[in-house]
Amino acid sequence: MGNLKRTLFYDNHVKAGASLVDFGGWEMPIQYPAGIVDEHIHTRIKSGIFDVSHMGRFIVSGKEAIAFLQHVLTNNVLALDLLQAQYTMIQNNGGGALDDAYLYRFYEDIYLLVVNAANAEKDWQHLNKEITAFDARIVDQSAEIAMISLQGPDSKTVLKKLTGSENLTEPIKNALAILDYQGEDLLIARTGYTGEPLGFELFAKADQGPAIWEKLLELGAMAIGLGARDTLRLEAGLPLYGHELGLDNDGNEIPIFSCPLAKFAVSFAAVKGDYIGREALANQYIGFKKIMERELSDLSHLARIVRPIAITGRGIARSGCKVFKDGKEVGTITSATMVPYLKAEGYGLDSKITDEKAMRAIGLALIDGDVELNDRVAVDIRGKLVPAVIAPYHMKSDAPPFARPILYGVEVERKFDSPRDYETKALNLLERSYDNTILRQHETINLIPSEQTHSAAVRLLSVMDPSFRYAEHKKTKSFYDYDVFYYQGTAFIDEIEYLLMEEMKKYLRCAEVETRVISGQMANVAVFSALMDYKNRVNRKVDAKRLGYVMNNHIIRGGHLSAQPMGALHDYIAVDPLTEKTAVVNFPVEKDNPFKIDVAETKKVIEQYKPELIIFGKSMVLHKEPVREIREFVDAQKLSSIIMYDMAHVLGLVGDHFQDPFAEGAELVTGSTHKTFFGSQRGVIAGNYDKDDYKYGFWETIETRAFPGSVSNHHLGTMLGLLMASYEMNCFKDLYQKNVIDNAKYFAKCLADEGLEVAGDPAISYTETHQVVVRVGYGSGPEVANRLENNNIIINYQATPEEEGFTASGAIRIGVAEMTRFGFSKEAFAETASLMADVILRNKDVKEDVKRLRGQFTSLKYCFDDEDIAAQLEKLKNTF
Amino acid sequence: MKIVEGLKYSKNHEWVKVEGNLATIGITDYAQHALGDIVFVELPEIGDVIGKEEAFGVVESVKAASDIYLPVSGTLVKINEALVDEPELLNADAFENWMVCVEMDDPAELDELMSATEYETICQD
Repeated sequence: MGNLKRTLFYDNHVKAGASLVDFGGWEMPIQYPAGIVDEHIHTRIKSGIFDVSHMGRFIVSGKEAIAFLQHVLTNNVLALDLLQAQYTMIQNNGGGALDDAYLYRFYEDIYLLVVNAANAEKDWQHLNKEITAFDARIVDQSAEIAMISLQGPDSKTVLKKLTGSENLTEPIKNALAILDYQGEDLLIARTGYTGEPLGFELFAKADQGPAIWEKLLELGAMAIGLGARDTLRLEAGLPLYGHELGLDNDGNEIPIFSCPLAKFAVSFAAVKGDYIGREALANQYIGFKKIMERELSDLSHLARIVRPIAITGRGIARSGCKVFKDGKEVGTITSATMVPYLKAEGYGLDSKITDEKAMRAIGLALIDGDVELNDRVAVDIRGKLVPAVIAPYHMKSDAPPFARPILYGVEVERKFDSPRDYETKALNLLERSYDNTILRQHETINLIPSEQTHSAAVRLLSVMDPSFRYAEHKKTKSFYDYDVFYYQGTAFIDEIEYLLMEEMKKYLRCAEVETRVISGQMANVAVFSALMDYKNRVNRKVDAKRLGYVMNNHIIRGGHLSAQPMGALHDYIAVDPLTEKTAVVNFPVEKDNPFKIDVAETKKVIEQYKPELIIFGKSMVLHKEPVREIREFVDAQKLSSIIMYDMAHVLGLVGDHFQDPFAEGAELVTGSTHKTFFGSQRGVIAGNYDKDDYKYGFWETIETRAFPGSVSNHHLGTMLGLLMASYEMNCFKDLYQKNVIDNAKYFAKCLADEGLEVAGDPAISYTETHQVVVRVGYGSGPEVANRLENNNIIINYQATPEEEGFTASGAIRIGVAEMTRFGFSKEAFAETASLMADVILRNKDVKEDVKRLRGQFTSLKYCFDDEDIAAQLEKLKNTF
Repeated sequence: MKIVEGLKYSKNHEWVKVEGNLATIGITDYAQHALGDIVFVELPEIGDVIGKEEAFGVVESVKAASDIYLPVSGTLVKINEALVDEPELLNADAFENWMVCVEMDDPAELDELMSATEYETICQD
C-alpha cells in the first residue's frame, strides 16, 4: 500500500493493532482487534472514536462567501446561524450529487466545509472553478486540522473530561462550540455519522490530534474502524456517497431527492436565488412531493427513492441485490449487511438494554415510488428470493442518551385487567378511586410544582349544578356591550362569572380578564389567535399573515410547551423566509446560570429581531422574569412588541412576594388556575386595556377568540369552584405566598445540607419561586423519580438546560405549594429532605416513614373552614 | 494464528481432515480472522454431489459474503447444522467447528493439497 495517503493518526492505528485497508486512496483502519460487532455495540452503549481526518476540510471566506456557498451548495447558507452546522449537498447541474457535505459556522464570517475523502479532489476542483466568479476564497486546511468523531451515550462525559469544560454546546443537534484544549482552540460540533443522539466531531490543531486520540481512549472511548462506521450509519439510515448518492449500480446518476435527507439539505428559498442544479432539483421536488403525498399516477419527475428495508427471511442482502414485489423488479439494494444490537427488556422508560447481543439483516434500497411502507417484497440473494419488508426506519434516536434499534414488526402491548360485567366494573372504579384518593391525600408527599389539592368547597362546587349546563354569552355592541346569553337558566352562572372576573381583576391588579378559557394552553391559543387576527384586521381579503418574530424561553431552558411552535404557537407562527425556520427567537440566558434570562443579551436580540410578541414565563422557574427591564427597553426603543407573561406556574404567587406583572409592564398575562393558584383546572387571560385605549379592539378580539373561538361550553361547575378559590386566594394570599416562597428556599437549603446537588444560585437560597431543582446525575432523572414514587414521594424528572431531552433528564423538579397548603412545617420539610436523600443517595426504603409524616398533615390551610362553612358543605353533599 | 498439524490445507483457506474415505472440511483460523465477525453461514444439503473447487457454501461477515470451495470432490454425507444458528462459532474456533463432511470421489485429489507447514508459509506471504 505504498502510494496510499495516511492521516496523522496512522501511528495510533498501528499501535492499536488495526487492520488497514485502502479507502479512497487513504490507508485507513477497517477494524481494530475488537472487531466490527463489538465496535458497533460499544459505540451504541458507551462511546467510540473515529479517525475522520481523511475527509476534506475547506475554509471558505471573503465578501461573497455566502453568495458562493449559496451557488455551489443545495442548502440555504443564510439559515445557518453562528455556532451551527448544516447538512448539504454539493450538486451538479443535473440535480445529482457530486458529494454530500457538512457546513460549519464556527466564526461569524468563516465557513468550514467538510467533504468525503474519496471526493475531496473532485470537490476541490469543482469549487475552485466556481469560486472564480465570486469575491471569495477557499483554502484546503485538511492537513492543518485534525478531525476526530466521538459518538455514543458516554461521549458527553468523555468530552467534558477531555476538555475540563462543564459547558459543551447547546444540547441540540448541529450545535457548535469553541473550547480550549491546552491553550489552543478545540472546535466541537454536535454532528456525526452514527445516528447517536449524543455525538461530537472535534476539530483540533493537527499536532494535538494524536495525543487527543490517546487521551480519548484512556477516557473509555473505543477506536472504531470504517467497518463499524458503515454498519452504524446504515442502521441510522444515513446515506453513503457511492451507494445512496452519486451513481447507482447501473452507472446512472441518483437524483438528490431520491435520498430522503434531501428534504433537509435542499432549499428553494427565495434568498438563495438561482444556483447550480436548481431547476433539476425543483423538478425532482415535484416528484418527491408526489411520492410523499401518495399521488402515484405519474412518477416521471422522480421514479425511485431510498427506503429502509428489513430482511425478514434468512440471508444477508448486499449492495446490488435486486428487489421484487409480486414478481416484478421494483428496486435495488444500495447498502445492506447484518448489524448487531443489544436486546432490551421491559417497556417504555423502564426498558433496559441488556448485554445480550443479536444480529439483524437490514439495508437501504432505491425503490420505486409506488412501493408502500410495510409492503412485503423479496430480495434476490445469490439467486434465492428472500422475504423482506419496507420498514419505516431501523433505529430511533428520540430517547437520548441511547439510540434504540427498531426491529420490524415489534408491537408493544398494554393491558389492564377489568372485570367482565358492567356492575362490577362500576363498583371497581369507585373502589379504585377511593383507594387512589386515600393514597394521594393521606399517604403521599405530593411535590409536583404544577399540582395542587383544592379545598373541599372548591371541589364540591366544581361538581354542583350547573356543572353540566351551558351558558354561552357574547358582548353585544347594540346593547352597549351588555352580555347576551343564548339560553335560559343562566342567571346564576352569569352572576358567578361576573364575580369571578371581579375577583381576578382585583388579584391580578388589571382592568380586564377573560375567564372562559378552560386551560392555560387554551388561554395562550386564544391570545395567539387574537394577535394574528388583529394583525390582519385591515385587509381580510388575503390569507392572514402569521406572527413573527416571537420571543420566548426555549423549552430546554424551561420554556412553556404552550409558548413553542410545537405547542400552542404552532398554527400562528410564521416561517422566516430568510432562514426557512419558524420565526421564534429565545431569551439568552446568563452564562453561569442557565435558569436566568440575560437581560443585556436579551436587549440585543430584541433590537435585532423587533419581536411582535415577547412571552415571559417558564415551567421550570427559579427566578423572577425581568419584565420591568424589558418593558423599559421596549418603550425606549419605541417598539410595539406586546409583552405577555405566561404565569401558568406562578399565577398563585402574583403580588408583593414575587412579581406584580402589570405594574412591571406586562400587557397581557395568561395562566392556569390550578398550580400555585389553587383553583379548579381552568385558564385565565388578563389585560390592562382601558376602554379608551386604541388597543381595546385587541382585547375584544381576545374575548371573541375565547368564545366562540376556543370554547362553546366553558365548564360551568369548575367556574364555581374557581370563584371560591379566588375568594380563598384574595383572603389568604399574603400568608400563603410568603410561606410558599420561604418553604421553597428552606427546603432547597435542607436538600443541599443533605448532600444533594441543588441547582440555581445559593446566594438567593436557590429559588425565588415555589420550585426547587435537584441534579441527580445525567440520565438518572426518570429512575430516581420512579424510586421516589415507590416511596410515596411524587416529583417529576426534569431535563436541565444542558440536557438533550426528557429521557436524558438528570434532574428532578420539586414544588412546595401543595404541601405548604397542607400545613407542612419547617420540620416536616426538613424531614422530607432527609427522606429524599435516603432514597436518592442511599437507596433506602422509607415508604412507611413517608406515610407517617404525611399522615400528620391532611387538612388544608388557606381556606374557609368554620362551622357554618362545614354545615353548608354537608348540605350540598346531601343533595346527591 | 492457529494451524493444526496433520490436516490438509487448500490455497482457498479450507482445511481437510481425512478418515478413511471421508473428508471433514472447514475454514482455517486465518480465514475466519480475515473475514472478521462471521454472521451468516449457508450450507449445502446432504446428498449433494459437488466437484473439486466448486463453491459448496457461503460464509458471511459484516463486511462481505465469501464462497467456500470444496477442496476435494465428493458427496455430502454430513453438515454442521450448529453453524447455521451460531455462525460466530467459526470465529471462536474454526478448526473445532467443521462445516461439511463428504465421501470422496477420488482420494488422490488430496495429494494436491498442502501440509500444515506448507500452508503456514502461504499465510505468511
